[in-house]
Amino acid sequence: MTQLIKETGRYEIILTGFGGQGIVLAGKILGQAAAIGDNRESTLVQSYGPEARGGACSAQVIISGKAIHYPPVRHPDILACMSQAGFDKYIEQLTAEGTLIIDQDLVQPHGFDREHFSIPSTRMAEELGRKMMANIIMLGFLIAVTNAVSPGSTRNAVSSSVPRGTAEKNIAAFNKGYDYGLAVLKGRQKKATGRAGAEK
Amino acid sequence: MNDFNIILFLCSWGPHPAYQTLQDRAADIPSEIKMVRIPCAGRISKALLFKPFEMGADGVALVGCPAGSCRYGAGTTNANANEEDTRGILHLLGLGSQRLRLANFMPEDADGLLSFLRDFASEIIRMGKTPVSPPAKDKALSDLAEAARKAIAQNNVYSCQDCGKCSSSCPLTLAGKPFSPRALAASIISGSLSEPTVQKDVWACLTCGLCSERCPSSVNFPQFIREIRSILKGTGSGSAEVHGGFLQSLMRTMASPGVQTRHWDWITHEVRTDPAAKTLFFGGCAPYFDIFFGRHLGVKTTRMITDSIKLLNFFDITPALLPDERCCGHDLLWSGDRENFLALARLNQEAFGSSGAEEIIVSCPECYRTLSVDYPAHGIDIPLKITLLHDLIEREVDKGAVAFTPHGGVVTFLDPCRMRYLPKGRELPRKLIARLKPSAFKEMKEGGASSDCCGNCAWIGCDAFSKALQVKRIAQAKASGADLLVTGCPKCQIHMKCAMEDPFLGPDLTMEVEDLTALIVRSIHWE
Repeated sequence: MTQLIKETGRYEIILTGFGGQGIVLAGKILGQAAAIGDNRESTLVQSYGPEARGGACSAQVIISGKAIHYPPVRHPDILACMSQAGFDKYIEQLTAEGTLIIDQDLVQPHGFDREHFSIPSTRMAEELGRKMMANIIMLGFLIAVTNAVSPGSTRNAVSSSVPRGTAEKNIAAFNKGYDYGLAVLKGRQKKATGRAGAEK
Repeated sequence: MNDFNIILFLCSWGPHPAYQTLQDRAADIPSEIKMVRIPCAGRISKALLFKPFEMGADGVALVGCPAGSCRYGAGTTNANANEEDTRGILHLLGLGSQRLRLANFMPEDADGLLSFLRDFASEIIRMGKTPVSPPAKDKALSDLAEAARKAIAQNNVYSCQDCGKCSSSCPLTLAGKPFSPRALAASIISGSLSEPTVQKDVWACLTCGLCSERCPSSVNFPQFIREIRSILKGTGSGSAEVHGGFLQSLMRTMASPGVQTRHWDWITHEVRTDPAAKTLFFGGCAPYFDIFFGRHLGVKTTRMITDSIKLLNFFDITPALLPDERCCGHDLLWSGDRENFLALARLNQEAFGSSGAEEIIVSCPECYRTLSVDYPAHGIDIPLKITLLHDLIEREVDKGAVAFTPHGGVVTFLDPCRMRYLPKGRELPRKLIARLKPSAFKEMKEGGASSDCCGNCAWIGCDAFSKALQVKRIAQAKASGADLLVTGCPKCQIHMKCAMEDPFLGPDLTMEVEDLTALIVRSIHWE
């Protein structure tokens, strides 16, 4: 199981996907939760422009206990992909122990043979009634499996960042992803101890 | 005179002459023993063996003829079986199985009989008085008409428009029984409650609530019937209890404050429990059902309990169990015995309160309804959160990362009446079944919203029409093309299995019946 609690508490994260999926917003929430909620340092570098019109876009977030001198991310510890193009572009940069997280319906992790995390975030968002909340579900999932920031701070950051009147729905989406993440971790732990079913 | 009471059921053929010899000799038969002469030990059913305990007896001895000497052939075998089962029940109830003893004597063995009686009496005295306090006698009701009038007014029965929608949805009427909710309501309104035919109908109602759902005036017929039953109970009208009233006796016995049951003695170590947990699991009466019906139907309703705890364990919930858990009182309430229902409810309220738990998880739909609806309606508030197991499973599974080995068969679902009334009670089991990925889910002809019932409720009023209803249900299940009938209540399972025992129709009705929890527990796994 990959739990990224590093001694330095430093995380370099890349979120990537199509323009319009809310990748940059998710990155902003992540950094805001770390800085305002958890009293740590964080930076955000956005990459969009022509890419925003349906191409690959990314948000590069660094979270650290110390001052951050160089904001761009060259080798992420956590790579969350919500599009195939994003995966193809950034997978080579992921560190050797880095955590890969994908939307399982949108990304095929070709050529990646290590253990990774996947979530049907877009499908879940559709089930919740709003496809555009997939980013928040992904964010909840990322936080559950990596522990990069505290869930409480992130919930606050979600409430204050999303459009007025949608906070409740977005928190529900966040919880959906977060619970899914915890369930996945629990499942892996159960499997590791050989108790995957209810009968044994 | 001492205050111990030991009932001796004594067979007329073998041991009674021996007893007479003792009387002729003016032998010193222990004075605690009260003899009841019976025609055959094999005819003393479990209900009759247990009844004295409900009434406060300290011990019961069943004395018959040695094997091979029974005048009727099967008496000794039957007596053995009945004694063994009743001892099992006494053990679970915490009364002690030693309080019931079976022995066989030939007419010439007066000395043997005497030493048996002395030995038994001294053992009972050593064990001490029974913890059961005899239930209070039903208070005679002075004004039947006035009580009925109140019940009519409280349940909105005057607004009946005589439209007949109730009769056209009533499972009993549809099974061909000359029974009609509106006609019954009209008879009670016109003051005929004292007539035996009307009373019979009051005890026949299944209280399934389909009529109420269809009623344009929203007359709460099940609640009205429940009210009328408790009124009739007060007049001493027979309440049409089935199985000799054994199950009601059992529940009334548990309403004695002194009884400390050993409810969980049968539980295996496959399941994990923790006495200090904040989550309590309430199991229900399945352990008693398995002993009582085990020989006849081979039911294994305790599996529903172990499966439920296994599922909780699967989700890392290690529940506490009340070591002296009692019945929830559902069947007493619905068979008119409100006084003992309230006694049980108060004892449970106290036990839940002092358990230190914050949540109760219930797997039986009847227990769930009783704890969450009927207790508060009777002013008994449970300060704990009450959760139906199926709800919890759906909630946990919905979080994700849990998968099911596809079931592959064609299944149908029999809605338990006490689950169907819940807001999500029809959807929920179907949602769970869909997750199990059967090759197909087939709805019965009278399934879903208009689901018929399993033919009986609260162990009263079972008759040929109940059986016809059950046979119809199974025939519908088979006709749907399903090869597995899934249920969610231990009683549905017992009643369906009972119908399959029919000597004429049985072979055509045989169908696999399983509880939903059993299906889930076998296929659920972490992804």
